Amino acid sequence: MLLLVVLAIFVVLILFSMPIVFALGVAGVAGLFLGGYDLQVLSSSMVSGSQSWVLLAIPAFVFAGGLMEKCGMSHALVDFARALVGWVRGGLGMSVIVVAYFFSDICGSKMAEVSALGSTLMPPLTKAGYKPADSASLIAAGTAMGMLVPPAIFMIVIAQVTNTSAVALFLAGFIPAATIMVCLMVLIYLRARKYNWPVDTKPSVSLIVGSARRAAVPLVIPVVILGGFFLGVFTATEAGAVVAGYAFFAACFYYKNVSLREMAKLAYESAILTAAVIFLLAVASVFQYLMGVSGVPMLLAHVLAPLHDMPWLFLIVTAFMTMMFGMVLEGLPAAVVLIPVVFPIAEKMGIDPIHFNIVTTASVGIGLFLPPMGVGLLMALKFANLSVGQHWRTYMPYMAALMVGLLLIILFPELSLFLPRSAGLIK
Amino acid sequence: MARFVASIPRIVVAVLLVAAIINLLIGVFLRYVMIPVTDWLDVDSIPFTWVEEVGEMMLAWLTLVGAAIGVRERTHFTLHVLRFSPVRQAWIDKIHHVLIAVVGGIAAWYGVKLCILNHTLTTPGLEINLALLYASVVAGGSLLVVYAISMIVAPPPLTSPLEDASHQALQ
Repeated sequence: MLLLVVLAIFVVLILFSMPIVFALGVAGVAGLFLGGYDLQVLSSSMVSGSQSWVLLAIPAFVFAGGLMEKCGMSHALVDFARALVGWVRGGLGMSVIVVAYFFSDICGSKMAEVSALGSTLMPPLTKAGYKPADSASLIAAGTAMGMLVPPAIFMIVIAQVTNTSAVALFLAGFIPAATIMVCLMVLIYLRARKYNWPVDTKPSVSLIVGSARRAAVPLVIPVVILGGFFLGVFTATEAGAVVAGYAFFAACFYYKNVSLREMAKLAYESAILTAAVIFLLAVASVFQYLMGVSGVPMLLAHVLAPLHDMPWLFLIVTAFMTMMFGMVLEGLPAAVVLIPVVFPIAEKMGIDPIHFNIVTTASVGIGLFLPPMGVGLLMALKFANLSVGQHWRTYMPYMAALMVGLLLIILFPELSLFLPRSAGLIK
Repeated sequence: MARFVASIPRIVVAVLLVAAIINLLIGVFLRYVMIPVTDWLDVDSIPFTWVEEVGEMMLAWLTLVGAAIGVRERTHFTLHVLRFSPVRQAWIDKIHHVLIAVVGGIAAWYGVKLCILNHTLTTPGLEINLALLYASVVAGGSLLVVYAISMIVAPPPLTSPLEDASHQALQ
């Protein structure tokens, strides 16, 4: 009963466009007050939720990503991807997906990624004769896939919420992301044949070598992350620091195109973004406290008991819910509101926490790019000057490809578990 | 002068971010470079557990002060489901900010209590007073009140790029 009142307050405030974190805060305070709990929970949750070693990776990755983007590393990656797959029919389209895969490695925030990819890729796509609706779909679908490529802020947050290893989760993301990438590639190949999309560039050794050399600077990062995690050298937080340090040195001594003043501004912007993310997590822990004392997880476990023997069905239902949450609420709010409720049930059903987290990460990624409200999609459409209404028909097959990828990830846990298991991070 | 005072929280969070990253790098250096060196020289290793304490404390301050600034900068995730006329929306915003100020006030007030409660405790490594950690919620809560009031008295004009995007795309 108490929780229903709290939930009602939350929903009403959200509908009236209150920032989600404060809607959570107001509803949480109301819940503590009405339930007769100590209001001190608010202050102590804020502190305990934000003083976290794992979450320290977030400011490091956000700053590093922003700095690398300012240096122009995305251009180097675009050139390299075009050289790699440009010779296939529809190669430029495919290179968008390849770029999204690698770029997610250096870029922490989805919105920043969409705008970087949109601004660098939309002009060559248009020039090559791709329809704006297809270009926007490529960028949206690629970035949605990129959600699974570490380092992702979302993964750090979800690792914290579910108390799993961020390193294991990072490692787990590579293969599922590649799975979705393959699905998208097949679709692009089919569409390219059907609509006679152009071949981009003829491959020449010098072109590939030249672009690879320029792309080597940003590509060190996935190698360091994958290698460092696989060998168990780094924690996620240390990897963040190393990547930030690397980005700083690359900016100062290699690219030399970012002034100290710009870096200071970037530090400020990264700090504010970091604060928004972690504060949300901290305030939501008040909510989780209330849910815990009201016995919600027990109730849900009871309701979902019939699904007990079908973990895959449970995961499909969860993925669907997460996607809807992701579309409406954005990724992180979805993570802090929904995941803490569903995760204990998944654990009880014997679903591996890493597999569960990869499924939810992928779903949130897709949710961000679902019409009509996914913010990522709206951003991508902005670059193509299209409305959701003009775009959704073209986007349907891309969404289908994303869903097929997600389904594969759900049905084959080994896709998520292989790398962390080989690294000895899980049994 | 007023402008300088207003920019202090902004400078603080930017400095905290840089300091937190440098702190992490020092940790990495001590752990991966200095330990083998001191092992090789057969001398006592340099302790590095304090890196964690300092880092976590910085993150708490960064988060709580930054979140308050975010009220003024409108960086917190917001949904736009229902649409109102600008005049009505301005009134709704005022009500929101009153509520935000109340939450900030409660957080700061109980933060003071937490400081008093914990002021005799220290961290295990550097023996930093835990009151300094809980002071972050006092500062953050108080700044929430300040920024929320400033948003009621003199809200900055709306210029969020995403706001434009959603308008454009929903048309």
